Amino acid sequence: MTKKKRPVKKFDRKMRAKLMALFSVLVLVLCGLIGRLTYIEYTSGEKYKKKVLSLQSYDSKTIPYQRGDIMDASGTVLATSVAVYNVILDCSVMTDKEDYIEPTIRALVDCFPNLSREDLESYAEKDKDSKYIVLAKKLSYDEIQPFINLVDQVDEKGNKVNPNIKGVWFEKEYQRTYPYGTLAASVIGFTSSGNVGTSGLENYYDDTLNGVNGREYGYLNSDNDFEKTVIPAQDGNTLVCSVDANIQSIVEEKILEFNEAYRDNYREGAGSENTAVIIMEPDTGRILAMADYPVFDPNNPRDLSLYYTEDEIEAMTDEETLNILNGLWQNYCVTGTYEPGSVQKPFTVASGLETGTVNGGMTFECDGGEQFDRWVSCVNRNGHGTETVEGALMDSCNDALMQMSYMIGAENFLEYQSIFGFGQKTGIDLPGEANTSTLIYTLDNMKPIDLATNSFGQNYNCTMIQIASAFASLINGGTYYQPQVVEKITDASGNTISVNEPKVIKQTVSESTSAQLKEYLLHVVSDGTGGTAKVDGYSMGGKTGTAQKLPRGNGKYLVSFMGFAPYDDPQLLIYCIVDEPNVPDQAHSYFAQNIVREILEEVLPYMNIYPDEELTGRNEGLDVTGVNAQWTGEHTPTAEPEKSEEEPEEEE
Amino acid sequence: MAGKRREKKATTYFDYNLLFITIFLLCFGLVMLYSSSSYTSASKYGDSAYYLKLQLRNIIIGLIPMIFLAKVDYRVWKKFGVLAYLGSFALCTLVMIPIPGLTRSSHGQSRWIQLGPISFQPSEIAKLAVIIFLAMLIEKTSKQLGKFSSLVKVIAIMIPLLGVIAYSNLSTAVIIFGIIVCMLFVASPKYMQFIGVGVAGVAFIVVFIVTASYRGGRVEAWLHPETAGDAGYQTLQGLYAIGSGGLFGKGLGESLQKMGHVPESQNDMIFTIICEELGLFGAVCVILLFLLMIWRMMVIANNAQDLFGALLVVGVMSHIAIQVILNIAVVTNTIPNTGVILPFISYGGTSLIFLMAEMGLVLSVSKGIRLERIE
Repeated sequence: MTKKKRPVKKFDRKMRAKLMALFSVLVLVLCGLIGRLTYIEYTSGEKYKKKVLSLQSYDSKTIPYQRGDIMDASGTVLATSVAVYNVILDCSVMTDKEDYIEPTIRALVDCFPNLSREDLESYAEKDKDSKYIVLAKKLSYDEIQPFINLVDQVDEKGNKVNPNIKGVWFEKEYQRTYPYGTLAASVIGFTSSGNVGTSGLENYYDDTLNGVNGREYGYLNSDNDFEKTVIPAQDGNTLVCSVDANIQSIVEEKILEFNEAYRDNYREGAGSENTAVIIMEPDTGRILAMADYPVFDPNNPRDLSLYYTEDEIEAMTDEETLNILNGLWQNYCVTGTYEPGSVQKPFTVASGLETGTVNGGMTFECDGGEQFDRWVSCVNRNGHGTETVEGALMDSCNDALMQMSYMIGAENFLEYQSIFGFGQKTGIDLPGEANTSTLIYTLDNMKPIDLATNSFGQNYNCTMIQIASAFASLINGGTYYQPQVVEKITDASGNTISVNEPKVIKQTVSESTSAQLKEYLLHVVSDGTGGTAKVDGYSMGGKTGTAQKLPRGNGKYLVSFMGFAPYDDPQLLIYCIVDEPNVPDQAHSYFAQNIVREILEEVLPYMNIYPDEELTGRNEGLDVTGVNAQWTGEHTPTAEPEKSEEEPEEEE
Repeated sequence: MAGKRREKKATTYFDYNLLFITIFLLCFGLVMLYSSSSYTSASKYGDSAYYLKLQLRNIIIGLIPMIFLAKVDYRVWKKFGVLAYLGSFALCTLVMIPIPGLTRSSHGQSRWIQLGPISFQPSEIAKLAVIIFLAMLIEKTSKQLGKFSSLVKVIAIMIPLLGVIAYSNLSTAVIIFGIIVCMLFVASPKYMQFIGVGVAGVAFIVVFIVTASYRGGRVEAWLHPETAGDAGYQTLQGLYAIGSGGLFGKGLGESLQKMGHVPESQNDMIFTIICEELGLFGAVCVILLFLLMIWRMMVIANNAQDLFGALLVVGVMSHIAIQVILNIAVVTNTIPNTGVILPFISYGGTSLIFLMAEMGLVLSVSKGIRLERIE
């Protein structure tokens, strides 16, 4: 069997026994490992199962929606949301490998000069497990672009130049900005913490403006492949307002001009406590401009530095600051209540004409006032003498109006107050409209003196938007439109979703009454107390108001002017109030009239409304204080209006 | 005529059991490799079958030495024993010297020799070389093995090779040391000496762990993988995968941990993915399969026609057993992390080809069995 002499060495019995022993040891060890596997499974199986599932969710990420814009009628963007980026450091990724730390820190410091190397190094050392460290907030894309370029940079072979920059990502969010700053701020409002509308349209249309967040996440499909799915964010809808940015800015400019002209004139501070203007389309109820003063910047709504020094702000308590801010944020045109004064008179006359209790041919004897339990005086203490209905409006005669109110009677008067919407909300699409239902009289509590004083606009409260909406119906043939700010709503790509058609609420007066009143009001401006507001070349109607504030006799007045133009087919209605003009003698409506004239001089041509009268040179060269601008003398408002009303009511 | 046929039948044997177990493990390995690597290869190379194709190529290359060694009478290798030892020693020394274009480092350690398009790890060759050389050496000196001095002499001969391998690749050195101990243990008539050798071996490993700086972190990661940060990450993720599998697993291909969480999921950590997808049941089946393989090799060794063949089989058997044990012990965090692959299943080039060559050698030994000897 074997060629060689040496016998073949065999694997003997002893060796087999030892091999068996070795095999047994191996079996034992492998059984031990099976035991170890079972042990892991038994003690930590559930825990690890959850751990594995939790590791999967890291891929899920919210995609923020973009809040809708607010635009004016011609598409000027008044409020928009721009994407900003927060720089987030996932420290656990950066410190995953020693090689990552230095390149990442260097790139961060190079690209974001505000970051300090020391901070980053201390994160790398102390916050190794931290997955979410916000390094910088609200950077624009331009600011983060250098970093993104650095990370994405590839050499000619397509390999990344900086593969070791790890753990930095950008969290996208949107920041609300108002490109025109204070323009229409109280109408638009502002948002807090990104997408919560706090005041104005931002608040009223919050749900419309907001969209739905999207989500990006990974999951396993039915074939067990890992798939990344993106549910895109649904951006919010855009509001298109009837407000015209140009008209609005003219209005705000004039209001500011007025308040600066009278700044520190009699008392310390701006030219008035409040100045507010509404411009409305009488035939639709749409708001073309709505402004008040003081203003705020919605980009920085909590900034008081426009009105107070740093020391003053420091000295304020939180509550004081909040009160001041709330005051600033209010839209006086909608939230402010006040006694309208003589602007009420056309409504009283209209009530009389409508109920037939007063007619155009009547005359009234003005002897300077009426005696109740106290004396209520007329503008002219000596009395206007015999006044027609038209004359009573032109002279703003209180006595004649009081006499009219007796004829109308409390029941009719209150019925028409209600028809004109006093004491009710107009339903304008702005938040915080004041509730005036308790600020007017009812049949039960109205005494004769209340009826008498109500007839010329004292002793009850209203809001500007109430008066403007009701007045629109007086001059447009009697149709009461709900006032509106938003004309239509479009989606993010500009497709119209809904249109706010002009909304007719009711018929307040007949067309003939409306025509009659328009004629009276035309004469108020052409030959009456409203002359200061007259824009040369335009046929205008209007009514002044000089309301004594409470308590009576403190010399504080809220003066106002309500006007419309042109006479034939009113294209716009303007209502201006000046609360406590900063002058020694406040009781003159020309403060408001001057503002209105200055505004209309620019707005009428802008609206392509052509002059319909011969130029007469009236009110030529006057500025917002009523002073001839060419006149270079001492700058004090001394110009006398042609006719002025004075203290409409006085207590004995 | 009938007798002649019977005689022919009686003298021919081939261990088809072992062949089929090997083929099965290789195929199972391909399936698991595809499952565990598809996500990473798709995201890294844009081809989910990237590793599968490479492994398939390696298996086909490996079939050549396997068939060759199975066909050739294993006894010719006795003459190459010393050459194999010296050759592998030379290669393992060469790999330590950084020569541009010839040696290549990976993972911070120089382990590769690059010859044109072919690169290989000389330490893998050393395993086969040691098995052949030691089988030859023991066969020559089997009579004196009972003496402690000759045992020490044999080990002393092996020390230089072990030293150069251990310098750069401790786990391979441990495996080779284990193979040596197992082969000597089986050949030696004594038991007690091996307890001493075992103690010395453990001491050697402990000293090496303490002195070699790059291993220090691994011990910490072993004791507290949750708090060890980077070093414990692989172990921890592997444990998550094992633990989340449950009794029957999530199903083939449904692993979540393979998606970038378990590093080297197609390599050292492939067993964790098996546990996650096939559960405890699948893991035990794989272990039993290896046990069956080891048992078949024990049977072949017991019936080998000579001591040299038997020792060759014992060497291969210990090699496979040690790697399986070390790999599973590592992934279950029973011992500190060290890079040991799971034979036939893990992705590998040199290691797979040489494992298949070793199987060819064992099959060649099985061919020498004459049926009448089977008891």
